[in-house]
Amino acid sequence: MDQKPDVARWVDEEAKAIGLPIAPEYRANVILNLERALAIAAPLLAVELEDELTPLPVYRP
Amino acid sequence: MIDPLSKAATAADIARAVASGKVKASAVVEAALQRIAATEPTVNAFTDIVAERARKRAGELDAGRHLGPLAGVPFAVKNLFDIEGLPTRAGSKINVDGPKARRDGALVRKLEVAGAILVGGLNMGEYAYDFTGENAHYGPSRNPHDPTCMTGGSSGGSGAAVASGEVPLSLGSDTNGSIRVPSSLCGLFGLKPTYGRLSRAGSFPFVDAFDHLGPIARSTMDLALAFDAMQGWDPEDPVCTDRLADLTVLGLDEGIAGLRIAVAGDYFARGGEPEAFEAVETVAKALNATRRVVLPQAAAARAAAYVITAIEGAQLHLSRLKTRPQDFDPDTRERFMAGALLPGAWYVKAQRFRRQYRAAVLKLFEEVDIILAPATPRSAPKIGQKMMTLDGVDLPVRANLGLYTQPISFIGLPVVAVPTRAPGRMPIGVQVIAKPYNEQAALRVSAYLEKQGVCASTPA
Repeated sequence: MDQKPDVARWVDEEAKAIGLPIAPEYRANVILNLERALAIAAPLLAVELEDELTPLPVYRP
Repeated sequence: MIDPLSKAATAADIARAVASGKVKASAVVEAALQRIAATEPTVNAFTDIVAERARKRAGELDAGRHLGPLAGVPFAVKNLFDIEGLPTRAGSKINVDGPKARRDGALVRKLEVAGAILVGGLNMGEYAYDFTGENAHYGPSRNPHDPTCMTGGSSGGSGAAVASGEVPLSLGSDTNGSIRVPSSLCGLFGLKPTYGRLSRAGSFPFVDAFDHLGPIARSTMDLALAFDAMQGWDPEDPVCTDRLADLTVLGLDEGIAGLRIAVAGDYFARGGEPEAFEAVETVAKALNATRRVVLPQAAAARAAAYVITAIEGAQLHLSRLKTRPQDFDPDTRERFMAGALLPGAWYVKAQRFRRQYRAAVLKLFEEVDIILAPATPRSAPKIGQKMMTLDGVDLPVRANLGLYTQPISFIGLPVVAVPTRAPGRMPIGVQVIAKPYNEQAALRVSAYLEKQGVCASTPA
């Protein structure tokens, strides 16, 4: 079953882990932007990729 | 014959007049500097004007040196391009404290070799993380067709300077749409070339995986003249191609015979306002393009582009986010911070997916030469507007003006954004998309649309 992540906690804990201070006045907007990023990323996360599909080490269009 | 000193003069008009001796480059530069002085209070396109340098260069041209295909053409560049002696702002306050550029960026040098004359640096969204053209430090660039409206971004000044007629040619950068979005909102022709086609040396990066540089102008010919002058391998940019330059000016009048042109359906035919799809239909009709194609998994491509952008951008700026958060534009700061917190696994997945999507789209190009899609989901929003309604859904402006451009730059396809404008409305653009390294085909289509009177760009 899908569980909605606790985005506020995500922001607080990970910012601490990577040593990124987030001032209280920025916090609400960081949470909002992370929520937006999660919504926009959803179609990528839903894609199933074959194990053989590696990234292109030297990208050529 | 258009007066080469007027704001309506294209780069080609000016170069022809200067090369034939009808007008002095010095007179062209003075006229441009006067227009800039008169127009800046309205459009706020420039952050730096290099008047003395431009006058000196014009004097050299008038003395008979350096005549080239862009002889005497005044141009300006998004302020993430290095300009010798100036800090490379990249839209930020922080970079102004950094070192001054020791020489011009590669494309600035190439345009000047072709005879063009740099007149200044242009306003942009901070660190290019922007689709609006707004900037908390330098003020918003304003849309010359309605100064209460956005230019689009992040190359906002590059759009405003050309659409107002201050200069006929500018350079911008496009990672997710930053040339095509302002071209659409300001009614201009913009070229985002193939990834790696033009050198990015001497420009401030954003997302290396799909940072592109390119020209914005009011005619297809001007795009082609600038593009041809800027091509060529550059060992200072590791992704710059060593293919031979593919000169586009000569074939520009060939028309569209033999080109298989289709309209992008599915993702690119929904999620926008009717005006975006009307623009595509207008262009498709003029090209007699009735075929529809589907770029498979375009929504996932947009998502992947977003994830790569958020993570690469945040990584680039992480030390500054830690030490000088108060000096960021509030509209980019918290987006960058959120990007720093995204899982690394998502980045790798996005890169793996890119390979699959690239292969699927290149397969489509076995059957068609050109794909048409909207450039933006709507015409210019008002300056300061945070939310917009697209197809009945309320969405943040800043993250969504590029939803049709992101899946294309993600795999580095060349695109010409062409302008349309319905009577009484603001301009809106259409993407003319070609396969990698076939800028020529997209430019031919653009030139044909211009000749047919379907696409045109007139300074405000």
